[in-house]
Amino acid sequence: MTTTAVGGKVIGLKEAAARVPDGAHLTIGGFAHSLTPLALVRELIRQGKGKFELTSMGDCWAADMLSGAGRLTRARLSNYMFEGFGRCPNFSRAVETGEVVVDDYSHFAVTSRWIAGALGLPSMPVRTMLGTDLVRKKPLDRGDIVEAPCPLTGEPLLFVRASRPDFALLHASRADAEGNIQLFGVTSTIEEQARAAKRVIVTVEEIVPGSVIREQPELTLIPAFLVEAVVEAPFGAHPGGMFRYYDFDREHVGHYVRAGKAAETFRRYLDEYVLGLPDHDAYLAKIGMRKLMALRADPYWGY
Amino acid sequence: MDHTRQEIMAVAAARELRDNEVAFIGTGLPMIAAYLAKFTHAPGLTLIFESGVIGAQPRGLAIGVGDFKLVSHCQKATGLYYALSLLQGGRVDVGFLGAAEIDQYGNINSTVIGDYQRPQVRLPGSGGANDIASAAKRVIIIAAHQRRKFSPRLHYLTTPGFLDGGDARQKAGLPGGGPSRVITDLAVLGFEPTSKRMRLESLHPGVTLDEVKEQTGFELLIPPHLPVTEPPTREQVRLLRERIDPAGEYIAPPQPAGSLRG
Repeated sequence: MTTTAVGGKVIGLKEAAARVPDGAHLTIGGFAHSLTPLALVRELIRQGKGKFELTSMGDCWAADMLSGAGRLTRARLSNYMFEGFGRCPNFSRAVETGEVVVDDYSHFAVTSRWIAGALGLPSMPVRTMLGTDLVRKKPLDRGDIVEAPCPLTGEPLLFVRASRPDFALLHASRADAEGNIQLFGVTSTIEEQARAAKRVIVTVEEIVPGSVIREQPELTLIPAFLVEAVVEAPFGAHPGGMFRYYDFDREHVGHYVRAGKAAETFRRYLDEYVLGLPDHDAYLAKIGMRKLMALRADPYWGY
Repeated sequence: MDHTRQEIMAVAAARELRDNEVAFIGTGLPMIAAYLAKFTHAPGLTLIFESGVIGAQPRGLAIGVGDFKLVSHCQKATGLYYALSLLQGGRVDVGFLGAAEIDQYGNINSTVIGDYQRPQVRLPGSGGANDIASAAKRVIIIAAHQRRKFSPRLHYLTTPGFLDGGDARQKAGLPGGGPSRVITDLAVLGFEPTSKRMRLESLHPGVTLDEVKEQTGFELLIPPHLPVTEPPTREQVRLLRERIDPAGEYIAPPQPAGSLRG
């Protein structure tokens, strides 16, 4: 399945991954078993990219796969968990062995760092994390949060510094060649990540004509001028799901989690599903048409 | 009505939710209790999930807060920031959390066991839990009652209960009211109003005080009279076993006679 839509900002997956340098500060889309641009993450791994820094809300899949492949150096995060399957095995092991340095936040606080970045503000006040170790223990970000009274009322607040990652790597439902991005269902922190990051690359399930986008502009989450490049990657979130397209692949998730319990077994998983395959098309062929069709969403329920 | 300890835990937790409240729900047992409340005495309950689901009406048990079952046919599907800003803005009556490790002031750890930078066990992290516990008008915690969970000193303070006790929450600037109840498979617990120390409120049928003390790693306040938790109704048990968790994913089905824990 070659890219069927060309022109405008549409590029291939290989080119998209090639644009991301080693050591980049990334923010990746994703929440639980959905919305993660895993086709792009697999391509980054294939191209040998690494030493990444992540600023994360909940892109557990990206963090775990990158950790398992030894491509993650540091991560500020709010929550990495494989819902229904327990902890993220590779990420947990990487932290426990000292391979990855972490700094913890709450969902609202880390998102507020992107909001500040998006708004061009140096910092943002929040009323969360106060009094806890999320404020006290900051191996990466000691200078990036401070408790201070509101200058107008004197109430205690927490100020978090603006975050502007080098790249936002996101996955969405559909886009046109111009780069307008639409997303069905819940939108996680995709919008905030797109507005905070310096460069935005979005993989989508399908590229559609501009008229489709413009018939329902209220669905446009990110307008084209904020987007550097768009990639057509059907089932690009697999084994995660995309609302209205396909549910997550429970069987594959179970297989991945079992493989991730030890470095050796995860190396075999990577060889089989990432490094040993040339591209996303080969990955989908390996997952197989029968499985992909079984995952497809019911149009009424959306999953 | 014959019931298991997990079933009474879900029922006691569901009782804490009132009709027409706005509730922010976490993954796992909180979801079971919230569904049970919505299907029984609180049909007007608005269920909000940090994933951006406002007003969930799921047709089956969700695997977690990101499950598409919650998104499908909800009132409003939006972003995480919108959902959490409702919390910050004081719009959420009750937050419902699970706990990996909890201390006598209702503070919770979901980050690490051991040293923060080189932990023995790296846990998932706060997620929305800290946000919920910081800002909800009240918080209900639901957890299995085990000594290793009810710990005198947390490895890491992820989610605020009453911090050091007393008026520590207000001093820290936290807007919400803090935990009001801890529901376990052995008992219902609350917090003494001044010291904010965890206090036993009722024992589930068949549970002894000794058993609770044995499973609690710190000293609990014990009131002079200890009522027995009201058992579940037949209808509540039926709903749990047949409609809410028929596969027994969170509420284990009743064990055959002779097993240790029902």
